[in-house]
Amino acid sequence: MPFLEQLAGNLIYGAILGAVYGLATMGLSQIFGVLKIVNVGHGAFIMLGAFTAYWMFTLYSINPMLSIPIALVIGLSMGLAVFYTVIRRLIGAPELSSLLATFGIGIFLEELAKFFWGPDHRGYTWNIGSVNLSITLIPYSKLLAFGMSIIIALILYSIFQKTRIGTAIRAVVEDREGAMVCGVNVTRIYALSFAIGIGLTVMSGVLVTLFVPVGINPYMGGEYTLKAFVIAVLGGLSSPWGAFVGGFIFGLLENGSYTILSLFPNVEPFSLTRFVAFSVLLIILLVKPTGLMGGEGE
Amino acid sequence: MKGKILLLVVIAVVLGLAIAGCAEKKPSETPTPTPAKKETPVSTPTPAPTQPQVEKVVVGGTLSLSGKFANEGKLSLWGIQAALKWINDVHGGVNVGGKKVKLEFKYYDDESKKETVQSFYERLVTVDKADVLLAPYSSGLTLAAAPIAEKYGKLYVSHGGASDRIFEQGYEYVVQVLSPASKYQSGALDLIKSIDPSAKRVALIYEDNEFAKSVFRGAKEHAEELGFEVVFDKTYPKNPTDLTPLLSEMKAANPDIVLGGGHFADGQLLVTQMADLKVNAKFISIIVAPALPKFYEALGTRAEGIAGPGQWEIGVKYSPEAAKQAGLEYYGPTQEEFLKYFHEVAGEDVQPDYHAAEAAGAILAIAKAIDTAGTTDSKALRDTFSKLEFMTFFGNFKIDPQTGKQVGHEMVLFQWQGGKKVIIWPPEAATGEPYYPIPTWEEKEQGKLATK
Repeated sequence: MPFLEQLAGNLIYGAILGAVYGLATMGLSQIFGVLKIVNVGHGAFIMLGAFTAYWMFTLYSINPMLSIPIALVIGLSMGLAVFYTVIRRLIGAPELSSLLATFGIGIFLEELAKFFWGPDHRGYTWNIGSVNLSITLIPYSKLLAFGMSIIIALILYSIFQKTRIGTAIRAVVEDREGAMVCGVNVTRIYALSFAIGIGLTVMSGVLVTLFVPVGINPYMGGEYTLKAFVIAVLGGLSSPWGAFVGGFIFGLLENGSYTILSLFPNVEPFSLTRFVAFSVLLIILLVKPTGLMGGEGE
Repeated sequence: MKGKILLLVVIAVVLGLAIAGCAEKKPSETPTPTPAKKETPVSTPTPAPTQPQVEKVVVGGTLSLSGKFANEGKLSLWGIQAALKWINDVHGGVNVGGKKVKLEFKYYDDESKKETVQSFYERLVTVDKADVLLAPYSSGLTLAAAPIAEKYGKLYVSHGGASDRIFEQGYEYVVQVLSPASKYQSGALDLIKSIDPSAKRVALIYEDNEFAKSVFRGAKEHAEELGFEVVFDKTYPKNPTDLTPLLSEMKAANPDIVLGGGHFADGQLLVTQMADLKVNAKFISIIVAPALPKFYEALGTRAEGIAGPGQWEIGVKYSPEAAKQAGLEYYGPTQEEFLKYFHEVAGEDVQPDYHAAEAAGAILAIAKAIDTAGTTDSKALRDTFSKLEFMTFFGNFKIDPQTGKQVGHEMVLFQWQGGKKVIIWPPEAATGEPYYPIPTWEEKEQGKLATK
């Protein structure tokens, strides 16, 4: 039956897209969870990741999968640099200051990218074939994006749960003063958390290009910032795992609702998918104001 | 305490800016009467028009030098600068009251934002004393600033606002230089009609914005006139990340011809995902995105055979000879000269695309109208525009006197063949044969090109 086939195909793509969305949001939640700073310049870091994949591929023919660790290193070092120059001064400052500062960093990075690389829309083609599921075709590169997103999320989870640093980070989230009394260097934990958040975000930029390998330009981040905010709120703003699950749900909703909406005559289903996604967000927030995996409220 | 100090600082800054703003405005307004007075004795001997002597003509406008249209904005600026080189250095300026004066272009960066254009156009008229206005890029921005031009009664020349709706608002001073959006996909349909009468099923897939909707409303009408059957007609919202749901539905409709697009990123995404899902068609024509070389760089052989409409392409045959044949006057640089000036301002390795050419075409049209009318008076210029018919390197110019919509200029259709853009329609402008039907995605993966 064509309807069910299309629905299934769209849900598969929705799941892949959702995993990428999820990973692209984890960095935002990670930073907010630990530092209580909303990184409004989030999308600019995704853009940097996308350009990393693009340049590695076009200049050095480096497989985008290998760009993932490169992007992580770039992201971690940028995160540390930004933390020690700007963010450190903003800990405990009024929210507006940190909003403006991160907004400024975002604009700075976008304009810097435009200055060096120009405003063109770039892209690369990494064709490694596709798998035929008879209902739909899925390029291996998209499957890799899906798999890698899940693997990276799991690695992050085990770092947080199993290592000393992870324990320290969780301690700072739970009780800053308490952690300090126990000998945790809070500033260093902040620096590390911020760096991990940015590292994740830049890395997710590479995965975004595995899903959408075109349209890479200095201003591409805006759309992802918007979606990341929605997804982060959906998942409970301070929980990176919630963000991952939220991304997944958002992707499924966006693509899945299309098939159902297209059954109605005289509607533009695609324009309504966002309406459906946001309506579900509203309902979830009405039922559970702290988001799906948020705590019991602050 | 801290909060109070901050508040004081903010108030001080706001006050300071306000004072500075007033101070800036006043001197610019006061000196204007003085030169006018001085010049009155000069203009009294000449009995006819009581216009003060002008030293220069200012064309004012905004360009999108940052934001989502930054690419088009940059190319437009270079095109304008190249046209000004010809007007001022070769032609000696424009004719105002029997005297040749320089044409100047005063511009601001509108950051591709609707919110900014209105105040910039106010400023261009009131502070910068622009004589003629060049509209911003894109239909949305052109519509946003049009009321300002109307309010001050300034001629408002559109070089990048293709939407037909701009000209359905009853505006008096809006004049279009490029072909209206409704004509964008006409060439592709005419071409298919002439080479394959058996291709009947047309799919339309496009961005939900002002410009694209104008294009595809026109395309749908034209397709039905020619006897095609529109089997799919759906939009996607702006900045899509995944078109799979739409494309799987379109695939099920089994079209012969796919017409689609919106802007750059979504156009690239559309073709990539059609390749991913192996949605094959005999002919694919996408608006905007395929016009740029970056399209081919991004998609590689997947771009083979993809066609797209253009306002202009390097190689189109508009020349003084062609004008003579058509019985029209030719104005401005030849294509070769334009390319030379363009490279002087933009650098050797940048090629102009239609965004550069249409902006240059608009500046040339303004210069031609001022030359003909001999004045910068908006009413006189608008009347002159209604009667003008001429050719530039950008193509023909003729507007509908009522609405200001362009009716003289014709679109071209190009196709990516072996990594090059070949003009395939209309036959009189074509530089090569169309490749039809285009290779399938499977064939392109094997490295097949759209060349014979």
